[in-house]
Amino acid sequence: MTGDARTAILDRITRALRTARIPSTTDGDRFVGDPEKVALHRKDVGPSFQGGLQERFLLEARALGVEAFDEPSADAVRRRLAAVVDGLEVLSWNGDRLPYDGSAVIPGATLGTAPIRQQAHAGVGVTGCHAAIAETGSLVLLSGPGTARTVSLLPPLHVALVRPDDLVPTMAEYFAINPRQLAGASSCTIVTGPSRSGDIEMSLTIGVHGPGRIVVIIGP
Amino acid sequence: MTTAFQARARAAIGNHQLHVALDRTTALLGLRRSTAVGSLDDFESVRSHARHAKMELLRHLGDSLRAFEERLLENGAQVHWADTGADANRIIVEIATRAGVRRVAKGKSMASEETHLNEALEHAGITVIETDLGEYIVQLANDRPSHIIMPIVHMTKEDVGLLMHERMHVPYSDDTQVLAQYARERLREEFLRAEMGVTGANFGVVENGTICLVTNEGNGRMVTTLPRVHVVLMGIEKLVPTMADLDRFLKLLARSATGQKLTAYTTLIRGPRRAGDDCGPEDVHVVLLDNGRTTILAGETAEILGCIRCGACLNACPVYRTIGGHAYGDVYPGPVGAIVTPGLRGIAHHAELPGASTLCGACRDVCPVRLDIPRMLLALRQEAVKETAQPIALRAGLKAFAAIASRPRAYRAAMKVMRRVLRARATDGWISRAPGLAAGWTASRDLKAPAAQTFEDRWRAYRAQRDAS
Repeated sequence: MTGDARTAILDRITRALRTARIPSTTDGDRFVGDPEKVALHRKDVGPSFQGGLQERFLLEARALGVEAFDEPSADAVRRRLAAVVDGLEVLSWNGDRLPYDGSAVIPGATLGTAPIRQQAHAGVGVTGCHAAIAETGSLVLLSGPGTARTVSLLPPLHVALVRPDDLVPTMAEYFAINPRQLAGASSCTIVTGPSRSGDIEMSLTIGVHGPGRIVVIIGP
Repeated sequence: MTTAFQARARAAIGNHQLHVALDRTTALLGLRRSTAVGSLDDFESVRSHARHAKMELLRHLGDSLRAFEERLLENGAQVHWADTGADANRIIVEIATRAGVRRVAKGKSMASEETHLNEALEHAGITVIETDLGEYIVQLANDRPSHIIMPIVHMTKEDVGLLMHERMHVPYSDDTQVLAQYARERLREEFLRAEMGVTGANFGVVENGTICLVTNEGNGRMVTTLPRVHVVLMGIEKLVPTMADLDRFLKLLARSATGQKLTAYTTLIRGPRRAGDDCGPEDVHVVLLDNGRTTILAGETAEILGCIRCGACLNACPVYRTIGGHAYGDVYPGPVGAIVTPGLRGIAHHAELPGASTLCGACRDVCPVRLDIPRMLLALRQEAVKETAQPIALRAGLKAFAAIASRPRAYRAAMKVMRRVLRARATDGWISRAPGLAAGWTASRDLKAPAAQTFEDRWRAYRAQRDAS
């Protein structure tokens, strides 16, 4: 059945393309991901990056309503994390997936392997990240062993521990430099600010289905 | 004779509340878009690239679909092809039935609106819940969306409060934060219970078989994470060649739709859960839908298949801003709808839609893919005239006009008579009832009386005077 439809659709496309009116366009300096053009693209967003990747990332993230902390030491990162999650039921990526030995201050945290109702009950989700995009203040989170998608999704508060090494200038560069990392995961989520909606009278509502509050802690 | 479209448009024009809502939403979205455009270095060049990528893709659509299918299969997804909307619905109902699914949670999908998937699933005894806040409210109200990205632009917060109070039995509120909280709680339970998630796709990436979905609320993430089966229903035109292209399209889409630099959640699906994953669907199905798209591809409006459904042309369109989305009578409203609907459903039943435009070009100016919407509307008007019977008086009148207008002397003489006739009918410089065929034009507005002298006459007099002095 589907096989027939496949043939029929592809045949119709071949026939349609004989009469299709598709305007001619030119290639221009199309960016296709080779290193030279990646460098060119990087230059494109140059002026706004004068303060450095980390400053730009913090600026963009804060503009989105993310609470971002820049801590001088791993110890300070852990203290900050402990303070943010204080009194909340914690859901977390596996300990070996968190930088700065963050798991040390959240003993007994629920993990992504726990029953879903138990995970849904958590008050905070703690993750690292696979990359942080300076251009847009975004976090790149890949699903995989120990890095369940639910951790950054179900709780009303999401805390992400970010290392300066995670920072990349642009999304284009992340896609270009690391296709294998992306290919290795069944899903990738790029989080750009808290969950939001403007569906009712365009009035901004925060925390609709995903976390309404995001805390980013960057260490040394 | 009043057509169904005219009746709907007239009703919308008389709806004051709709105008308040449309003015507020379209103006704000338009403003946000213009501001956001400035935040992208070289926006125009990104647009050019995006347009080029889409047009090239359409030129090689068959090969692109074959390659995309191959990558999807490598990623472990199952691929289905659907000739029509009914076929797509049947395929999805079969997937659900075979997997023993009783509850479906849906992300926002225009394609599923187009095929009436909800009705098909419900007919098979399966419960379907829309999870986008706007679409959920549309479903509660048994209504239809009226904007591509703002489905309930036609409703006030009081409407929503009352609706939730009646249908969800919660205390009345007109505080949007409270209303969203009601929906969050109710839908959270649905996400946890649903056995199958259904979404559309914003983009499918040919080079690696990635399905890209964007949502601001996070419902797209929920329905692709929690249920054990995920079905993607996507039109065959929703492809982009590479991840580098995807980056561009995501930037254009967010800026054009809501004025964001990026939508809050960009979800990239690479197939079902893998060994070691703690969550994610066990099965991912991708249904590739034609449903009239190859018919559009064969003709003058092939270009419209490059549309990324951002809704910017709706916000810019003076006609949409006056009549709203429901008047267009189908799933896709606004300038894009005036092209897509006749293309998908046949021009005969939607002959008046291409006429619902002033051809001012505002849609083309804001389109992130720079689609030449006015050109396509004109081409469809020609088709509509050929396909539908025109009154004899109109045909004869236009023929006579063509004969006169192509002969300068006859034209000048005719205009002289016309000026006299019109000026004789004018009161204080305005004509409220024009004679003959022109009466339709003055049925709802007045016509300014023509000047006593034409520009040509005045120019000739001026030249004569200057040469004399």
